[in-house]
Amino acid sequence: MFASLYENMMNVSPIDMGLWISGFMLVTVLIGVRVAFAAAIAGFLGLLWFFTAKLGFEKGFWVAVKMAGTVPHSKVSTSALSLIPVFILIGFLAYHAGLTRALFEAAKRWVAWLPGGMALATVFSTAGFAAVSGASVATSAVFARIAIPEMLKIGYDKRFAAGVVAASGTLASLIPPSAILVIYAIIVEQDVGALLMAGFLPGAVSALIYAALVIGLAMHNPKLGPPVGGFTWTERFNVLPGTFPIFFVIGIIIFSVYGGWGTPTEAGALGAFVIFCIAVYKGMKWSTFRDALMEASKLTVMIFSIIWGVLLYVRFLGFADLPHAFADWIANLDQAPMMTLIFILLGYAVLGMFMDAIGMLLLTLPVVFPAIIALNGGPDVTAADSAFGVSAVGCAIWFGIIVVKMAEFCLITPPIGLNCFVVAGVRPELSVQDVFRGVTPFFFADMITIAVLIAFPSIVLWLPGVIMGIV
Amino acid sequence: MSGSSTILEDDSLLSKLDRYYFKFESLLNLIGGLVIFIIVLLAVANILGRKLLGIPVSGYIDWTEQSMVFFAFCGIAYCQRLGGHIRMDILVSKLRRRALWSFELVSTIIMLTITVLLIMGSYDHFLRAWTNGDSSLDIDLPIWPSKLVVPVMLTVLAIRFCLNIWGYLRAIKEGSDTAIAVPLIEDARTQAENEAKTVSGASVDNEEIK
Repeated sequence: MFASLYENMMNVSPIDMGLWISGFMLVTVLIGVRVAFAAAIAGFLGLLWFFTAKLGFEKGFWVAVKMAGTVPHSKVSTSALSLIPVFILIGFLAYHAGLTRALFEAAKRWVAWLPGGMALATVFSTAGFAAVSGASVATSAVFARIAIPEMLKIGYDKRFAAGVVAASGTLASLIPPSAILVIYAIIVEQDVGALLMAGFLPGAVSALIYAALVIGLAMHNPKLGPPVGGFTWTERFNVLPGTFPIFFVIGIIIFSVYGGWGTPTEAGALGAFVIFCIAVYKGMKWSTFRDALMEASKLTVMIFSIIWGVLLYVRFLGFADLPHAFADWIANLDQAPMMTLIFILLGYAVLGMFMDAIGMLLLTLPVVFPAIIALNGGPDVTAADSAFGVSAVGCAIWFGIIVVKMAEFCLITPPIGLNCFVVAGVRPELSVQDVFRGVTPFFFADMITIAVLIAFPSIVLWLPGVIMGIV
Repeated sequence: MSGSSTILEDDSLLSKLDRYYFKFESLLNLIGGLVIFIIVLLAVANILGRKLLGIPVSGYIDWTEQSMVFFAFCGIAYCQRLGGHIRMDILVSKLRRRALWSFELVSTIIMLTITVLLIMGSYDHFLRAWTNGDSSLDIDLPIWPSKLVVPVMLTVLAIRFCLNIWGYLRAIKEGSDTAIAVPLIEDARTQAENEAKTVSGASVDNEEIK
């Protein structure tokens, strides 16, 4: 029986191998194998199968082992990836240097007189914090501690306050530097700088839509967030020096990356170094610094493990030719390409309710991304001939921004919108239901943002177009 | 996100080994963190040297690329000990006691298997670089040290998996509600609290809200 099974397995076509192995990976992920290792073992078994069919088991096994063994080292030693730990470190250091609080204080004194002013201050200061940090859950956790108590003290509705913080945290994923955009760029082999640039305007648009929503809600129901007055102009200007480091770091990153002064890693490193000096000046102890390093290292390892694990799986997919076959199928579907794109995005919305954004994107992009490119008209298509009105490179960037916004959208949707749980976890006076209710208006605002981004790719592509000439 | 799970302790040999080994893993993870900081300093020296003095750091790219494996792998066992590698636990979190520990045992054996295979493959990768004397493109740094980091750190991880397997086997044998020395599944709220703790250092707690 085994002999005939073996015989049958050896006669399976590579594409079918790809399907079986992808199914196997899904099962391992479902039973709780950590994503990095699930992808890695699927990739290894795929290689083993493929080469055993070609060379026999003994030879095939060693080819698979040797081939798999080169992936972790070679895929990790790519200097573009050095951006990730540097930006992670910036986030932790900025927090420990007290910059976050300074930013919130400044935003408060400048905009709190508006309806829902404190909530507005939260939106703007999270956007500012996002510009130095790349992780949205961390951003929500930080602001739940800083902003919510202040809002509650002046009589804000607690659900409203919690919703603002949970939603604003998602801004970090689009406003550069965003860890998730860097990972997307690596997986789909696009320019990291171009993606980071492309995220800026959609991030700013999201922040403005949130701000408009906050003002609208507070005007409609003044009980949600009463305005706070009483700050003199002297007080307003006095608070600014504390925020200079943040603007300095943002300035450095913009100048270096967008002005071609240095690589994104160098820009980030310069920013991290400035923040480190400020933290030391403010009396950061070794134990605090060590904690920041330990956390940054752990988060980095987590991200890199998924990267090499998934790339091992991608290595096998290349042999199996599955992405190509899937792309062919998608491109030849008998319906409008835009319809297909929307279905794919809805699929992400469902998947994102149960899965971490990074894991979800890494597992699906190797197959989905080529399909999107094929849907648009192929890897060499010009904007004029394409289905979505964007060139192939433009499509890669545009889809990246939309899919990342989609993944972040899932951070505030039930049942496991992590940002909401984080906010509820940090504030004992709030239940998870409170936060989910408070975040509902933002949920609709995000749907509008995503629709706008799909309808007007130029919002995404304008900045990279102006600076890097991408059309 | 990379969270930290709760890990229970007691007086057993397993728990003691777990704690001693965790100290070793923490040290390795700290080395990973320090290498990140060194990369930061190196990049700062490079950009300032190039722009202000016209002399970039010699072999900057080579140094960066060769050091990346340190922060990509040194903390890998530490991250596993704390349950930091992301997973989907929506199904297994519904299970209790023996059913739960059995599933965890199977997952851990799968992870140990691929780790052992990768140790073999990456050691072979190192051996080739060692015998051929491979070096980096720009300043001829030998490549073998960074290639050796991979199998070594994966071995540290494999030992951690063995400790996890021991923990799950013990929990299956006892049929208990909780297990010693393994990362426990937590509901989203606890997970979020742990997540929040990682960004709420001493500095913010001192700054009382006025």
